[in-house]
Amino acid sequence: MSKGPSRIAEFIKKALFLDFVKGLSITLKYNVSRSITLKYPDEEKWVPDRRFRGQHTLNKDENGRELCVACELCVKVCPTKCITVIPMEDDTGRGIADRVAKVWKVELARCMFCGYCEDACPTRAVRLGRDYELACLDLSCTTREKDELLKPQSIPDTIQGGFVVRSSFERTPEGIRVVPDLRMQKKRNI
Amino acid sequence: MPDLATLLEILIIVVKVSVISGILFSLPLPLTWIERKVAGHIQVRLGPWRVGPHGVLQPFADMVKLLIKEDIVPERADKFLFKLAPLLSMIPAFLVFVAIPFGEKFAIPFVGKEITLYLSDMNVGILYILAIGGLGIYGMILGGWASNSKYSLLGGLRSSAQMISYEVSMSFAAIGVVMLTNSLNLLEMVRSQSGSFLDWNIFYLPVGPVWFVIFIIAALAEINRIPFDLPEDEGTLAAGFHTEYSGMRFSFFMLAEYVAMVTVSVLTVIMFFGGWNPPLDISIFHLVPPIFWFLGKVILFIYFFMWLRFTLPRYRYDQLMTIGWKVLIPLSLVNILVTGLMII
Amino acid sequence: MEKLFFLMFAAVAIASGLAVVTARNPVHSALALIVCLIQVAALFVLLRSPFLAAVQIFIYVGAVMVLFLFVVLILDMRKAVLQAFPPVKKRFVVGVILVLMAQILAFVFVTPMGLSPAGGWEPTVESIGRMLFTKYLFPFEVVSVILLAALVAAIVIAKERR
Ligand code: SF4
Ligand code: SF4
Repeated sequence: MSKGPSRIAEFIKKALFLDFVKGLSITLKYNVSRSITLKYPDEEKWVPDRRFRGQHTLNKDENGRELCVACELCVKVCPTKCITVIPMEDDTGRGIADRVAKVWKVELARCMFCGYCEDACPTRAVRLGRDYELACLDLSCTTREKDELLKPQSIPDTIQGGFVVRSSFERTPEGIRVVPDLRMQKKRNI
Repeated sequence: MPDLATLLEILIIVVKVSVISGILFSLPLPLTWIERKVAGHIQVRLGPWRVGPHGVLQPFADMVKLLIKEDIVPERADKFLFKLAPLLSMIPAFLVFVAIPFGEKFAIPFVGKEITLYLSDMNVGILYILAIGGLGIYGMILGGWASNSKYSLLGGLRSSAQMISYEVSMSFAAIGVVMLTNSLNLLEMVRSQSGSFLDWNIFYLPVGPVWFVIFIIAALAEINRIPFDLPEDEGTLAAGFHTEYSGMRFSFFMLAEYVAMVTVSVLTVIMFFGGWNPPLDISIFHLVPPIFWFLGKVILFIYFFMWLRFTLPRYRYDQLMTIGWKVLIPLSLVNILVTGLMII
Repeated sequence: MEKLFFLMFAAVAIASGLAVVTARNPVHSALALIVCLIQVAALFVLLRSPFLAAVQIFIYVGAVMVLFLFVVLILDMRKAVLQAFPPVKKRFVVGVILVLMAQILAFVFVTPMGLSPAGGWEPTVESIGRMLFTKYLFPFEVVSVILLAALVAAIVIAKERR
């Protein structure tokens, strides 16, 4: 049991609805503050940091030669067994060695983006990139082939990432895309 | 054969009735949108955004959805009452507006004819509103019973008990205001509060604020808004009395609920906040048409109710009863005494 | 015009009154009773007594019937429907009804009709209040004491149960 004066204070607090006022003022503050919702995909898009693990990408060296030597280490290390690599002999200078990948494909539907393949790769050929809009209409598009993976990513490596940019939402017959406008950066504290 | 003047009077009444009911029928459209926006921003979200600019077309989309949804009547339900219940809750909500004044007179430009901004100037206005407004409860009770579902029945029972408990203190608050203004007539009530904001009933110290608090709490319970929305408590009763309703019939309940919220805001403004009187008796404020003062205050209160809804948690049922019987009713009895003494 | 309205309200009131006793389902009976009470309120309006009409709706329809329904809803509906109504001998019921009828008829014939002057005397709230506290002060006080006694009794009964 509380003592006299504090009980009186309690009563006054209740009679004046002080707790209510406190709660209401907090919600009012939030009501007028900026909302943290990203207007994705209509107007804004989050550009991830470099460490982000999105869709795979295969790199080339500065002379445009494929870095992958088809050693199949990534295949071995992958916990979900979703990478397929078939090596072949090629001394035309397509790759950095005589051995290149004839087939290099990853099934994104099974991949869990753990990044082990990236760590296992001796030549730093495979990297997990920053493309994260992987939704599509049927299972066929969940497999990414080598030609597609060799194309540069939509966000170049020179961009630090970790901010929000303006973007536009495009509906094309092939599907929907969110095209970021990398010049318009906005800092968001999330 | 009635003469032309009578016909004109009848025509004016018909027009007024259709305007008011048109407005009331379309009220849920903006109100649901505002409510969801307020909810969103209080929770640091955006609220509706995709359908139309800032999501303003969202309520229309919802309306279309409700209209074309399948209308399910449970097999073991009491079909007649099940179909009647939504109307029973909607009609009283609309009937209340017969007695609610929105202003004094208004002269139509160029014609020189004055029309009144109310349908009927009843000399028992406040009693009528409380009486008719209380009838909406039958929709909930009967709808809950007719659905033949345990959740609905419990919702109906809760709402009837809640309603009986809080109607008493709400009427006491109305009596208090009647004592302060010496009239049951809503127009008189507003007239007696003209002048600056210090003449409003809420500033009739010391009893005004107490009546206001009693009225607001009782009214919140009466219209089933959070923190007293136990009849439709999602946590324990699915959706309470309207669990079994879908489509159009459900939207009638929603409509009744929103109209009731507007009614309570209007009543609060009329009873405590000086109706359409501007807050200060200076000439600049009198330039603004009184209806705008009125609407502004009403909108503030509607916002206040939404703000409360997204701030407070729901009360437990025993707490609800304790507040009603052990706090509000004794408080209003004491307050009646004090008010009486002050008037003498 | 007024007569037409009177006939309409009266007819609905009687019909719903009959429905109260004939309906098998207690909830339907209660609903019919609500309709009946609302019609009576409308008759009060025709008698130029809006205050009484509002009070009728407020108290009978708004509060008493809600309590009625509250109790009825808790009943086991299937049993209640099957139960014979009324649960006492028919002869007794007829007797009670006849006595009540005689009372009402006596009341109708004994009280002088057309008391209110034809020239639109409206019983306002003020005049009703004045009447209550002057001419009818004694009955008013008696009624309040009886109500108080009932209140206390209800509390005592509720306490004993515990
Ligand atoms: S990220 Fe993990 S799961 Fe995905 S391909 Fe690489 S190793 Fe396999
Ligand atoms: S991507 Fe790297 S690990 Fe995988 S096969 Fe090519 S070189 Fe080996």
